[in-house]
Amino acid sequence: MSESFQIVKSDSKVSALAAAILLVLFGLGVFAVGYDQGQLFSLVEGSKAFDANYLHELAHDMRHASGFPCH
Amino acid sequence: MHLVSHAIRNLNMKTLLFLVIVIFSGFSAGIIHGLVNLVVVEPFLDKAIGIENQNMFGTGETRETPDFWQKFDAYRMWQKEGEVLAGGILGLASGALFGLVFAYVRGSLPSNNDVKKALLLCSIMLLVIFFIPFLKYPANPPAVGDTNTISFRQSIYSEFIALSGLGALGFSVLYKKLGSSKKLIAPLGYTIFITIAFLLMPDNPDKITISMDLVNQFRIASLITVTISWIANALILGALWQRFQPHITRQQIQ
Repeated sequence: MSESFQIVKSDSKVSALAAAILLVLFGLGVFAVGYDQGQLFSLVEGSKAFDANYLHELAHDMRHASGFPCH
Repeated sequence: MHLVSHAIRNLNMKTLLFLVIVIFSGFSAGIIHGLVNLVVVEPFLDKAIGIENQNMFGTGETRETPDFWQKFDAYRMWQKEGEVLAGGILGLASGALFGLVFAYVRGSLPSNNDVKKALLLCSIMLLVIFFIPFLKYPANPPAVGDTNTISFRQSIYSEFIALSGLGALGFSVLYKKLGSSKKLIAPLGYTIFITIAFLLMPDNPDKITISMDLVNQFRIASLITVTISWIANALILGALWQRFQPHITRQQIQ
């Protein structure tokens, strides 16, 4: 006769993958909204992204409202 | 029994559930932040941008024509829509950090309720990485800020947040190691550390040339809505954590 156990464990250990995903999301998100001056889109568009400054303009109001330096 | 202990060593937090809860709570709080900003902060932003426009008309940089206003209105509408999207992205980003820290320190926070735990952590993190940096480098509306100093301002702002955040992290590690009679040393140490950093870090180099009433009203509005977004994040994350318990792992052993 086989016995069955159920292991119930409370663990605050976060997997390395989950921690890495969250740190990347944190870094990218804060940079996109609070710091980008054309750098992210320049990876695709080249130097003209610095003139258009699309992300900066799109996030402009949130950038001011959440305390990041702007202009 | 050795079979059971072996299984326990290999158990981990439910990663996918944990990520979904953290990302959903952060993004939702960010959308709330953007929507609240439309009502609370936008009137001050519009006033400040109005001053920028008047300055441009005054110097002849731009002519005030019906065509200008038509394009300007469409542009501002696009920026206001962008504010909600940017709120979602920023909320997701700050929520990712909040969720990660919550997962690590949850066991050390007092209370049996995850909402209360999340609110306590929220108040500490908000103080350390927003309120204290805000005292040194408060938010400014448009019409304040020189384009030529943007890189410098961005670097001192992020350096001060990093100093405050890493300082708090270091002193919290010390807090855990100290005996109960000496625990007061840790918050006292952080206070001395951040006060020295506050005094040594350079000031914002830009002069404010517009009405201080407008600037102060804008700053209060900014403080209120950022606080609302962090509280929303804590409430949503805490409630979802309480409901789904991603730190509990069950494994059937035959």
